[in-house]
Amino acid sequence: MVVSEHGHEEVSRHEAIELVLARLLRIGSIVAAFLLAGGIAGMAIHEPFATKMITAGLLVLLGTPILRVLAAFVIFLRDREWHYALFSLVVLAALAAGIILGRAG
Amino acid sequence: MASWQVFEMFLVGLGAGVIGAILGLGGGIIIVPALTLGFGVGVRDAVAASTVSIIATSTGAAVAFLRDRLTNTRVAIWLEMGTSLGALSGALIAGIINQRMLFILFGVLLSYSAYNMFKARKHELPIGVTPDHISTKLKLTGSYFDKALGHRVEYQVTGTVPGLILMYFSGAAAGLLGIGAGMFKVPAMDQVMKMPFKASTATSNFMIGVTAASGAVVYFARGDVKPLIAGPVVLGVLLGAVLGARLMVRMKASRVRVLFLPLIIYTAIEMIYRGVKWW
Repeated sequence: MVVSEHGHEEVSRHEAIELVLARLLRIGSIVAAFLLAGGIAGMAIHEPFATKMITAGLLVLLGTPILRVLAAFVIFLRDREWHYALFSLVVLAALAAGIILGRAG
Repeated sequence: MASWQVFEMFLVGLGAGVIGAILGLGGGIIIVPALTLGFGVGVRDAVAASTVSIIATSTGAAVAFLRDRLTNTRVAIWLEMGTSLGALSGALIAGIINQRMLFILFGVLLSYSAYNMFKARKHELPIGVTPDHISTKLKLTGSYFDKALGHRVEYQVTGTVPGLILMYFSGAAAGLLGIGAGMFKVPAMDQVMKMPFKASTATSNFMIGVTAASGAVVYFARGDVKPLIAGPVVLGVLLGAVLGARLMVRMKASRVRVLFLPLIIYTAIEMIYRGVKWW
């Protein structure tokens, strides 16, 4: 019983992260798509805010994968998956360093 | 800009999104030539739009792949260490490296991958994979319900360290040469780590968004991302990727592999050509 319970727990824990990340990416996609579509429609009627809406949509999209790594880090911590939490942190640090160096260069 | 041009850019994005989502690639191979040759957009602006498009392909398609468990998030985060650190080192050593040699080296590597992919074109799933020590310790297994085969696929992962090293060099190549790293990620997971092909493309798709995000931040900061160009393309890619992911989950792995082959052969030839051209 204990063994099967543990086995089951492993499966459900593994599934949880995928569903959380899927929800996050879906929200990011929908918000970005609405802003982009709104901005492009606004361009047709020469709405002054159209370009800003498109830029906002692109920025939402840009932030989504970074938020995704951050969310994975938090979920791995919650699930006490220390190895994976550390791996996520390495990715976040490399991303941050790349962005800082890129801006400077 | 004329409204028909905006619509045409949207269509280019849509096509690139469908193809990119199915194959686990960013779609830059389509978007950059289409924008520069078809619409007279400058290379810098086209590359910036294409980089944001990679994020759109990744984000749009990943929702369906995550739900179907095709994406292996553990393998993804393990390999993302390699790609992100590789991209960082690539940016740091960009000034002191001989790019021609690199183009030829990676071109030859891709040719070899294409050859292996051609040999395995009829294979649906890997068989007899023995996980290595690290793979066992990190529980790098996976399982998904394959809608094309109508049954559950359980798999083991091997070659975890060679896979990570390859990802490091593919990340560096992306940073140095500005080429799509998805092209290297898929063969690394498929041929070195022995993952099922569909899990390889879905996991590659998931990873490319992260690498592209760090590049895209720099393009945004420089002002290379032009809303009037990137907007319609990226919207198209986003919708195309959602569509492409739905198609892919119902496709057989052997079919996806056959679609991948011409693109990998084309890229291999193009890279070797670019390396030899200025010799």
